[in-house]
Amino acid sequence: MPIQFSVNGQPVNLDQKDQEMPLLWFLREKMQLTGSKFGCGIGQCGACTVHLNGSAVRSCLLPVGQLQGSAIRTIEGLASGTDLHPVQQAWLDEDVPQCGYCQAGQIMAAVALLEQVNDPSEEQVNAHMSNICRCGTYTRIRKAIELVAAKTPPET
Amino acid sequence: MIQDPKRREFLKVSAIVSSSMLISILLPGQVRGSANAKAELSQWCVYVHIHSDNSVSMQSPIMEMGQFMRTAGPMILADEMDLDWSLIQFDTTMPTFLRRDEQNNIVYAHAQIGTGGSQTLKNNWSYLRTAGAIVRQMLIEEAAARWGCEAARLTAKNSRIIDSQSSRQFSYGELAQQASTRRVDLSQLKLKHPSQFSIIGSSKASIDGRDIVTGKPLFGIDENYPNALHAVIDRAPAMGARIASYNREAALAIPGVKQIVETPHHSGPHWPGGETQICAAGVAVLADSHWAALQGKAALATTWTDANRYAGLNSAAHRTALNALAQSSNPGKRHRDDGNVEQAFEQAEQVLEHTYERALLSHACMEPLNCIADVQKHHAVVVVGHQWPHQVALEVEQLTGIDALRVEVRNKRMGGGFGRKGETDFLREAIWLSHKVGQPVKVLWTRENDMQRDYFAPAAAVKIKAGLKQGRIQGWHMRQAQTGGEAESHGFPAHLISDCRIESLTANHPFPLGAWRGPGQMQQAFAVESMLDELAYAKGSDPLTFRLALMGPAKIYPINFWAANEIDSGRMANCYRLAAKMAGWGRTLKNGQGLGIAGHFTFGTYVAFVLQVQVDKNRKLQLQKAWGVIDCGLAVNPNHIRAQMEGGFIDGLNAALFNQVTVQDSIVATTNFDRLRWMRMQEAPTQIEIDIIQGTQSPTGVGEPPVAPAPAALANAIYAASGLRLRRMPFAEHINI
Repeated sequence: MPIQFSVNGQPVNLDQKDQEMPLLWFLREKMQLTGSKFGCGIGQCGACTVHLNGSAVRSCLLPVGQLQGSAIRTIEGLASGTDLHPVQQAWLDEDVPQCGYCQAGQIMAAVALLEQVNDPSEEQVNAHMSNICRCGTYTRIRKAIELVAAKTPPET
Repeated sequence: MIQDPKRREFLKVSAIVSSSMLISILLPGQVRGSANAKAELSQWCVYVHIHSDNSVSMQSPIMEMGQFMRTAGPMILADEMDLDWSLIQFDTTMPTFLRRDEQNNIVYAHAQIGTGGSQTLKNNWSYLRTAGAIVRQMLIEEAAARWGCEAARLTAKNSRIIDSQSSRQFSYGELAQQASTRRVDLSQLKLKHPSQFSIIGSSKASIDGRDIVTGKPLFGIDENYPNALHAVIDRAPAMGARIASYNREAALAIPGVKQIVETPHHSGPHWPGGETQICAAGVAVLADSHWAALQGKAALATTWTDANRYAGLNSAAHRTALNALAQSSNPGKRHRDDGNVEQAFEQAEQVLEHTYERALLSHACMEPLNCIADVQKHHAVVVVGHQWPHQVALEVEQLTGIDALRVEVRNKRMGGGFGRKGETDFLREAIWLSHKVGQPVKVLWTRENDMQRDYFAPAAAVKIKAGLKQGRIQGWHMRQAQTGGEAESHGFPAHLISDCRIESLTANHPFPLGAWRGPGQMQQAFAVESMLDELAYAKGSDPLTFRLALMGPAKIYPINFWAANEIDSGRMANCYRLAAKMAGWGRTLKNGQGLGIAGHFTFGTYVAFVLQVQVDKNRKLQLQKAWGVIDCGLAVNPNHIRAQMEGGFIDGLNAALFNQVTVQDSIVATTNFDRLRWMRMQEAPTQIEIDIIQGTQSPTGVGEPPVAPAPAALANAIYAASGLRLRRMPFAEHINI
């Protein structure tokens, strides 16, 4: 049975033989969506983070065969046209990236967190943001998350 | 200013007329004189296009590995050109322009596009300023000619030439085409006085920020090169091992796998001396996708023969040997021997002796190594993020015989470099494979191979013996034993202690070693700044007061080290003082909290940090907040200096706490982030506040200096919080975090 899912709203149909392929390599090689990065291949570093039905997941370990009916969102699907997502804008406002390689994964992790919790505590940020940044931009990542949280109206 | 009037005469400005203005600048010593216009044309380096609508396209003259050099280069050019920064469109391409010098060496024809050693800004500072000033002068003279007035009364500002005696003005776009044919009288050329800078000194965000946050393909790994085969190489896990067997048919049976090629083991001379393995023996799987190649690699089921392995290579034993060497009476190489240390210790009231140790360090660049090579009959294209693009062309020449000047090096943004991307092994495999199979090849490393086949930062054991007499340091003897490299003898406390001996010793070893981010500096700062703390406590003095007393009155000492020609105790003291003030040094802390201070001078730059930690009853450590101060001369981009201070300090904290390569019987056991722990958000300090001392000196490096003081700042803070003195990195083996 073919696997059907969506990537950034675009429907995808896969035949049987590709099902073991990790989502990361499907995105990078089949869809030419190279914003999600290869970092470790074992789900540790988080450079490959995407959203699976709204939750942040490591795409390097996720076989596409398991994605029946799923909605995948990648860094390329975050902005609306030229309008950046507020988290992307906060990343620019704080000028977070240094080498920039991990930042798509960091942003996807932060977006998922802020969609679940409007104004996360320091502990919630620590618990959720488990991606490695080799350049050590953690203090700016934290500031960018706080910037978005401060602009978001509190939940009623 | 251009310093040498004789060299000024050789300065050439060339431009070609088109709908836009193409600026190319050949500076003295950058190009051989040639009467052949065509030969010169091939060496032109075009960084700036001014369009008729006054917009500007600019290519960065400097590479990028995360230290904002792609932004700093254009800032310097644009400031001297008086460009409106908001009108500049930045191009992501970074072409490599090479030439042969008089000794037939391959060197950069124009700007020093390569990056590393905290020298990048310094190396390009004069060149880019001069280039920008020439362009500004061309535009001013064109405007003067059109208005029929003296050029001297015209000023340039925000991409406009303005007549100071009337309100008339031209946009650069209006002038560009004709201005580009002008020749400037270089004897009249003036660089700006620093007080006239408008872009230099202002905080500018990375020019690639938007492309990064939207996931654009900026990195070598993202490049989709036409007809390239994707290669994954199964590399020998043990250093020196060779292939015993592999299942070629099983790999070829994987859909998409095209060829299986053995890649040869290669050894050669390498820093810091002697031979080491450059490329491991391997089996390359070439396929139509990386995923197919990865599956092919798994299907190979390669076995290895260890007949040639480097016998007994073991990191734990190596560390033990280094410590023993530091403790031994073996004579070391003396880098400094001021006064008489033996006599000084005899007269001391108290003598302390401690050894500070560091493991072999991994690079772990976030972007695993990768390289695309397309070797054709007489020319080649290489697409790669490499710190030294001329090395890329040279590697092609050495392996294939193709003239290095016929190699097109397409530079990509590096997903971290840290010295690892200055090595040539990952180029060599791609070039060799493409040459062998006659097709473009993209080699992408697995993380396991990236960590196993690293060129580590040397491990070290530094013993310091120091005396105290009447509250002052009486004698200082440092013995630095390490995997490779030498001891640094120019930094403090040398110069400040009359009896001072600094020695280095090297243990016999075959570990592959390479450049890291100021590793020798970090090792030195860890030992020196830990010992200063221990002396302060032994004397019952406050660690800050003790350091300021050691620095004494501000004094400049001449040195010759890493392009620095002086070291100033006053500038160092100011960094300590200001960092302490920002941290509220001396304030009452909660139980279990402590502040640690450490500073360092290197690459002409002074840095000090204070770190606040908490250590609870169960020895659970929390890094809370840090305050850092830097004096790097003229601050070109305060934003990027702050970023390097934050990230560099965290890199140093990571080295102090976690970074440790372990090698067991010639095999690197720390193969991925599950076995090599790396700092994440939850372990990093929550906040880092940075202040920059505004200097007037020419700008000095900021990539490496902030790393060095981190381990000592952490060790000193842990001691202040808990009384636990840590002298052996990584600290996570001795404290919970």
